[in-house]
Formats: sequence, C-alpha cells, structure tokens
Amino acid sequence: MKRSDLLRKMRKSKFFMLGVAMGLILLFSVLVIPEVMELDPIKTDLKNVLSAPQWFSNGLTGHIFGTDGVGRDMLARLLYGGRTSLMIVFLGMALPSVIDIVIGVAAGYYGGVFDVIVMRIVEIILSLPQTILAIATMAILGANTYNLVIVLLLTSWVGYCRMARSTVMQFRNSEFVQASKLLGASDRSIMFRQILPNCFTPLIISSSQQAGRIILIEASLSFLGCGVPPPDPTWGLMIAEGRTYITYAPWTVIIPGLFLMYAVLAFSFLGDGIRDVLDPKNKD
Amino acid sequence: MGRFLFKRFYLTILVMLAVSIIAFGLIRLIPGDPAYVILGVNATDELVAETRVALALDKPIAVQYLIYLRNMLQGDLGMSTTYNQACATVLLPRIAGTMSLAFAAFLLAFVFSIPLGIIAGIKKGAFADLFATLFALLGNACSPVWIGSVLILVFAVQLKWLPTQGYGTLKSIILPAITLGLAMSASIVRQLRSGMYETLQEDYITATRARGVPRISIYGKYALKNAMMPVITVIGINIAQMLAGSAVVETVFGWPGLGSMLVTAINNRDYSLLQACILVSCVIFVLANLLLDIMYSLADPRAKLE
Repeated sequence: MKRSDLLRKMRKSKFFMLGVAMGLILLFSVLVIPEVMELDPIKTDLKNVLSAPQWFSNGLTGHIFGTDGVGRDMLARLLYGGRTSLMIVFLGMALPSVIDIVIGVAAGYYGGVFDVIVMRIVEIILSLPQTILAIATMAILGANTYNLVIVLLLTSWVGYCRMARSTVMQFRNSEFVQASKLLGASDRSIMFRQILPNCFTPLIISSSQQAGRIILIEASLSFLGCGVPPPDPTWGLMIAEGRTYITYAPWTVIIPGLFLMYAVLAFSFLGDGIRDVLDPKNKD
Repeated sequence: MGRFLFKRFYLTILVMLAVSIIAFGLIRLIPGDPAYVILGVNATDELVAETRVALALDKPIAVQYLIYLRNMLQGDLGMSTTYNQACATVLLPRIAGTMSLAFAAFLLAFVFSIPLGIIAGIKKGAFADLFATLFALLGNACSPVWIGSVLILVFAVQLKWLPTQGYGTLKSIILPAITLGLAMSASIVRQLRSGMYETLQEDYITATRARGVPRISIYGKYALKNAMMPVITVIGINIAQMLAGSAVVETVFGWPGLGSMLVTAINNRDYSLLQACILVSCVIFVLANLLLDIMYSLADPRAKLE
C-alpha cells in the first residue's frame, strides 16, 4: 500500500482518528502531567482522608479528584496507575507477538510433526479458561508486576500463533517464495525476510483489539489481590480499595472505573480503526 | 458428523489430561515440602507423615501424578484446611451457586440483548440502533468490579431496592446476574445488530420479500437464523469470560460459588482447595465448550466441514 493511500484511509476512518486522539490524550496525561504537577501517588495526607473531589475549584492545586482512604491524592494515583496499566498492556501485547511469530512462522513453514505438535498444544491452551488459570498462577507465584506480565504472556500467546501460522501456510507455496528458493535463499531468510512481513497486518489488527481485554483482566486480577501489589496504584486496585468506603465516598470507586472505561474505549476504537486502515478487504 | 464428534472428544480428553497436569503441577511449583504446603505450617508431624505416604512423595513425580489422577477419578480431591472437610464436599454446593448465577446472567442477557440486537439491525439509524451501539460499546468497556460496585451503590445503597449481599432469593440474584451478563449482552447486541443488518441485504431476503412473505416471518424466520450463527460463537467466547468474571462478581456480591471459593482458597493459602477449584472450574469450562461446539455443528452444517 502506498503511503498516501494509507494516510487517506487513516483520515477517512472515524474510529482510527477518535482512537488516536483518545490514546494521545491518555498517553500525555499519564506521562507528562504527573511530572509537571509533581504528583505523588504514595504520599498520605492524614488530615484529608476521603476528602471529596474539588474538581477545578482551586485551579490545579489541591485534590482535584479527592483523596482515598488514607489520604492519598486520587489524581496522582489515577495517572500513575495509568502508567502501570499502559506498561502492562504494552508488554502483554508485544511479548506474545514476538514469541508467537517465531513459533507460528516456523510451524507454518516446516509443517509436519512439529506443526502438529504445536497446533495440538495451541488447541489445548485455547480450550482452557485462561483467566482462572491466570488467577491461580498468580496466587502461587506471588503477586507482582513482573509475574503478572509472565502470566499474561503464558495465557495469551496462542492466539497470534495460529494466525501467523495460517498466514505462512497461505504464502508458503506462492511464486515469490519458490523463486527465492530457486535462487538459493536459506529457510531462515525465506521465513523471516520473505514471509514474515505478510504476517504483520493481521498481527497488528488482532493485538490492538487485545489491548482493552488486557486492561480489564489486569483490573480483575488486581481487584482479587493477584495483580500489581499495593501500594503501587492501578485502576483495578483503586476500585478494590475504594469499595470499603463506597457508601460515603463513592468517588473512590466511580472515578477509577471511568478512567478504565476511557482507556478500554480508546483501545477498542484504535483496534477498529487499525482494522479499517490495514485490512486489504476494506477498499475505500 | 461422526468424524467431527470423534475429533472433538479426542481433543477434550487431551485437554482434560492437560488440566489435571496443570492442577497437579501448580502445587508443586510452591517451594517447600508439598505435604507441608497442603497441610499448612501448623500440621502435626504425624499428619505430615501420613500425607507424605498418601501423596507418595518418596516415589518419582510421575508416580505421584498417577496417584493424584487415580484419587481424582475416584472423586477424592484432598482435604481443605480451611473447612476441615473433603474438598469435594465443600465444592459440590458451590457448583450449583455458580451455575445458577451463570444461568440467570445468560437469561438476562438473552431476554434483553436479542430483541435489542434485532431491532437495531432492522432499523439502522433509529434511536434503538443508537442505544444498541452505545450499549455495545460501553458494556464491553466496563470492568465487572466497577459495574458491580456502581450497581450496589445505586440500587442497594441509594434506592434500597435490592440487597447488596445474599443468596437464594430472587431479589439477591438480580444485581450479580446483571454484572456477570453485561459483557455478554454487549457482545451479543454488537454481533446480532451487524449480522441482522448484513443478512437483510442478501439476495435471498429480497427474493423472499418479493414473494410477499410477511415481514415478521422474514425477520424472525429467514434472517434471524442466519444472523444467529455468529452470535453462538460469541456466546462460546463469553462463557470463558463469564467463568473468570464469576470470581470477581461472586467476590463483589458475596455469592457462594466456585469463583469466590477460589478467592477464599487463595487468601487462606488452602492449596488443596485451590487445586480442586482449578480442576472443577476447568472441567466445567471444557464441558461447556464441548456442548456448545456440538450444538453449533448441529445448528450449522457448514461448521463441521472445517
């Protein structure tokens, strides 16, 4: 696809533009605002426990979104929590992609016994309830961010593997691959330099659609105490902590949930938009 | 059909074996003597020695696994240290709890989202369509933790219509069922809306219209059948999310099910119970998927060709 073509499709897709806008706002908020405003997500202010959101009545000073049960600034925790969530989403998408591509491409290219074994394993993993296993594994390995990424990787790698494999199968016998073979290209060069680029489009589409799911799983795991451990903030953990005070300090629960929803929506628009832009079936 | 069923059952058996290996292996991942892990640090030496024999800890790991498999097949899932009872005894009523909640969530999702999806697909651009689109978007973006808490805040704390916790009454199941079913409802609406709309553009529908078949049977009989097939797939995917979601929803509402039992087991470091919970949840999940696949292949003859 030509670059001008790509840009035209991007501009034409409402989902893509909306997703990019929402994503940039989110990225700016979590990366820049905490530094500029010098927010501290851990510092407790025991004189101002559970103070209600002041919104912007005091300008940018004070507790804009109120404080939580031990007097920590909600805004600071929300933004730092966003950082953690985005990092987990990024790792949760990137690591499985890399591993899957290698395994999927190899399985598709070599075929035979290796392919059968890999596909059988993939089928078995796909037939297991992944989040339940993630909860159990986190409980046993211990709750920390590092383990969380590993568990997300273990439970989500199979999806792309199948896709990479089927793309390779599609191109394995194509003319350009046969031509490369005749010219004496090695297996590895054909796999990774000729076939691999064809796998990127479906991979980008499906992994961008995974992002929202990863955020929601992270929230559920953190809520159950199997995700990022306190005092590091994440949105799921904030909702869990706020639930104790929900009757008299509902903002401690409602606001993190809205942030979560915003992020999931941003990723879902972005996912749909990327599909609109990259899917060759989408001609106009 | 026979070939498809055979392949499907064969895969199911492989998956069940994998489940048993995972349940067996997870406990062995915990550092320390498995007997102490299972019994807790306060166990008497006598009991530990007894358990060591029962688990065959002096034998190779493969033998230990086979013994575990044998016990499991006989319904012996170990003793829970939290309840001082056999895990199977503790878990059995919990299965009913999760099933009834899941069933209620299914029912609510169906009753609400199928009519909404159909109407939105038929009347594209109308108010119902806008509502359905928004519902599908937001319903999938809500964390069950959050929506459950907000429902409690609105309907239990503010309006006082429904209880926050409880089990066994019709009133107490409404909020958890809505929370658990929301994501599925949203997916069904999304899929059915676009499926219905696309099906109505097909030539065979135009032909049926030309023949003067009444609208109600075009929508209800000819179009719906076709539009429902992807919906069944969506439901299958959502069963997985429901089972995982049940851990969260049951914890939020204090509902006695498998999910909340899993969380109890984790919090109490009751590893036999944890193992049993994983095993039972996985088996239910695998069986539900098997059932759904068979139903799907019966409903759509094209499916089994793949």
